[in-house]
Amino acid sequence: MTSIAAARIDGWRRTFRDPALFTTVIVLWALLALFILFPLAKLLARTFLDGGQVTLANLAAILRDVNHRQAFWNSLLLAALVGLCGTWLGFVYAFAAVRANLSRAWITVLDAASLLPLISPPFTTAIAMIYSFGPRGLITYHLLGIKGFTVYGLHSTLFSETLTYFPIAYLTLKPILAGIDPNVEDMAFSLGSSRWRVFRTVTLPLTVPGLANAFLLLFAASLADFATPLILAGNSFPVLPTQAYLQITGLFDLKGGAVLSFVLLVPALVVYLLQRYWVSRKHYVTITGKVGAQTTIKSLAPWARAPLLGACLLLAGVILYFYVLLFYASAVVALGANHAWTWRHYQVIFTEGLKAIRDTLVIAGAGMPLGGLYGILLGYLVARKIFPGRQAMEIVSMINYALPGTIVGIAYLIAFNDPPIVLTGTALIIVACYVFRYSPTGIRATVALLQQIDPSIEEASQGLGAGSGTTFRRITLPLILPAFFAGLGVVFIRSMTAISATIFLVSINWTLITVRILENMTELSLGPAAAFSVLVVVIVFAVIVAISGLLRRFRTPGAVDMTSILGG
Amino acid sequence: MSAVGIRLEGISKRFAHRVKGEVYAVRDVSLTVQPAELLTLLGPSGCGKTTTLRMIAGFEQPDAGRVFIGEQDVTGLMANQRNIGFVFQNYALFPHLSVFENVAYGLRVQRQPEQEIARAAGDVLALVGLQGYDRQFPNQLSGGEQQRVALARAIVIRPRVLLFDEPLSNLDAKLRVHMRGELRELQQRLHITAVYVTHDQEEAMAISDRIAVMHQGQIVQEGTAESLYRHPGSEFVAQFIGRTNLLSGRVRSASPGEIELEVAGQHLRLPGDAVRATAGQIVRLVVRPEVIELRPADSPDGIPGTIVSRTFLGEKAEYQVRVGEDLLQVTSYNPVQRGLFTVGQPVRLHFPAEGIQLLPGGPA
Repeated sequence: MTSIAAARIDGWRRTFRDPALFTTVIVLWALLALFILFPLAKLLARTFLDGGQVTLANLAAILRDVNHRQAFWNSLLLAALVGLCGTWLGFVYAFAAVRANLSRAWITVLDAASLLPLISPPFTTAIAMIYSFGPRGLITYHLLGIKGFTVYGLHSTLFSETLTYFPIAYLTLKPILAGIDPNVEDMAFSLGSSRWRVFRTVTLPLTVPGLANAFLLLFAASLADFATPLILAGNSFPVLPTQAYLQITGLFDLKGGAVLSFVLLVPALVVYLLQRYWVSRKHYVTITGKVGAQTTIKSLAPWARAPLLGACLLLAGVILYFYVLLFYASAVVALGANHAWTWRHYQVIFTEGLKAIRDTLVIAGAGMPLGGLYGILLGYLVARKIFPGRQAMEIVSMINYALPGTIVGIAYLIAFNDPPIVLTGTALIIVACYVFRYSPTGIRATVALLQQIDPSIEEASQGLGAGSGTTFRRITLPLILPAFFAGLGVVFIRSMTAISATIFLVSINWTLITVRILENMTELSLGPAAAFSVLVVVIVFAVIVAISGLLRRFRTPGAVDMTSILGG
Repeated sequence: MSAVGIRLEGISKRFAHRVKGEVYAVRDVSLTVQPAELLTLLGPSGCGKTTTLRMIAGFEQPDAGRVFIGEQDVTGLMANQRNIGFVFQNYALFPHLSVFENVAYGLRVQRQPEQEIARAAGDVLALVGLQGYDRQFPNQLSGGEQQRVALARAIVIRPRVLLFDEPLSNLDAKLRVHMRGELRELQQRLHITAVYVTHDQEEAMAISDRIAVMHQGQIVQEGTAESLYRHPGSEFVAQFIGRTNLLSGRVRSASPGEIELEVAGQHLRLPGDAVRATAGQIVRLVVRPEVIELRPADSPDGIPGTIVSRTFLGEKAEYQVRVGEDLLQVTSYNPVQRGLFTVGQPVRLHFPAEGIQLLPGGPA
């Protein structure tokens, strides 16, 4: 006991002796307290406090409403189904990419198709779904002649979310499947196993932790998804995030919204903790340091190759079709009715919508460097420095990332609406929301990169007389620059595409493209919504190309690549 | 600049171990390194030698005890305040900086003028034989070249002491032998105090003025290579420095100047001032393989044994000989002229009294 206490005191002593470290730790804690803990505490207070008394009455009142109870179960059902379907699709896709001996060109096609949903604004698939399967849908009405097909409900929400989120499963499973040494499979073949048996007894079991991980990631993504159900779920299939949103924007019931988002918080947190602290640690590490003998992969029977590739191409085709449709819809007068080419929709977004575009770019541009810097600073401290409360800092920094955006948005709305800190209506509140919600990818990238950089490199600098500030600036920073670019890239992309949290934070002064897309959709002006979406995809794509270029220039051993970061 | 010594006074370092709980990595180590001396900390992995070195450098802080460099108490100082040169096992070169910038780094931290940096870095690169490598990057260099850059980077700041953490263990065997000669020569040329950590006893013996053998966090014996080899103070040191046979014997009689022992049923007389022995006591004998002489089975005295295996290595032959329950290693030099024994052949072993070291106690 005493020695543990002594070690703790030693930790404090060391922290105090290093002024740069000490200051950084204090500043970061202040920021984390203000922008993560404080809003969350306010949300919980709004849920459980009434006139200074702790009460469950608010919670009980919400849960008594059969609609809300239904929304809770619907959310879980939808998330579980998306998790299952998405993981399955992701596995098939990943298996084809790494185990079917496809040529590079095919793999590039598959990769490109899977990247699209990751960088799209919300509603993209929803818009395309309505164009295709809606009351005047290209496929249902025009092509198949079906009248009265309802696009709204569980089926299309599930379909749309699965298409949107399966790339996360693909990106999770691909490295795991690729990491299974073909020599291990060869070994099983040499012991007399058939192909199917090798798959069943070797390949699949080695992938199980990855499958569980992918399932939980998809479950969380679907649970948090706000945009898709808002458009596609309809009245018959309410889910929690949309209910909370309608409670606040429709009924102006902030307390009801807070309680509903608390109900959402519980499963979200459970899934996050399961994913982070249980499943993701159950990796079968087969890295021995030695590369096995070169061997061709024999996992897949030759006859099975063509159907597998066909299925993957079909999936990629559906995604591409959606995006082509989106572009087409933005360039014709009214898709489904009048297919004359026009620039009208783009004119609309660059005149009426110009403010939203400008605001979004300003906010994303401001959040980008802040988020990048915050990400590498925090990642560096957590991975490399010993100071009291280090693990707590890491956990707290992940909270806003783990929670569904609806919760974060409502928490910010409650926390920064009244004194002492009034930020409602400012750009700062939106920037802060994005920075603290999307920098954890940068933090993780930094930690991952630092784990591959031997600590003795920093010690060498220290031994040559450099203090911790100089060492960080001259040695560590250049080495973790890739994580910096990746981190700021993610903050920028998400600032362009996210809506679930910031829909509660926009104002007359500051609005966002994604919010304008939603407004356009509710006004049924789908043309401008499509044009906005195309614009976002183009900007985001350009940023990704630029950052990938930077990453290549600053490539250091173990550098991360951009696509793998978007999945996390 | 004249060389300064290093003094450790009772330093200890504990670590939290996942299974064993709190363990001592280093326990109450006291050590003095003379100015301009090269002292090696030698021991098996996990013996605490690297932790000790890192406490001298300031990368770890001792939980107890004090560290002095020269007359200065540096215990509380961080590594960047100690003016040391440290060479890492993996070299720890800055991968994003060129060879020149790696070497110049410490000078830039000191804010030396640009001219001085260029001159000093150039001199040191020439000293380690790397002229013309300025623009190269670490990943373009061979292991030996990286080693030289690491060395140049450490000495260019004119440190008070040089600290080496297994600097040669990533090199292949031939280069290792070559580089250790260069290191030693450079250390003597610079007239600088150095502490060198290794687990390789041959390297330690080749390079050091003095060796401190560490075991389980403590220094078990210090001395020159020769004294450690000739007078090991414990079975651990006897086995770690060079190859050895350990035999048990019973003291039959001890008189001043002579001890009579019974070993493997044979009587042996040794000069008796090595250990205080009383009759009936069990002692351990350290017998180096090369002091044992093998003779044909029909020779008059000696301990009888049987050859179990033979390895012919040209200038020497190594035998394993069964003596009662024990298996002894015997090395015979110039075997071609002296005659080879064959496997299964009975022999007699002669132990010259002056080549045997006695240790007290041990298992009977």
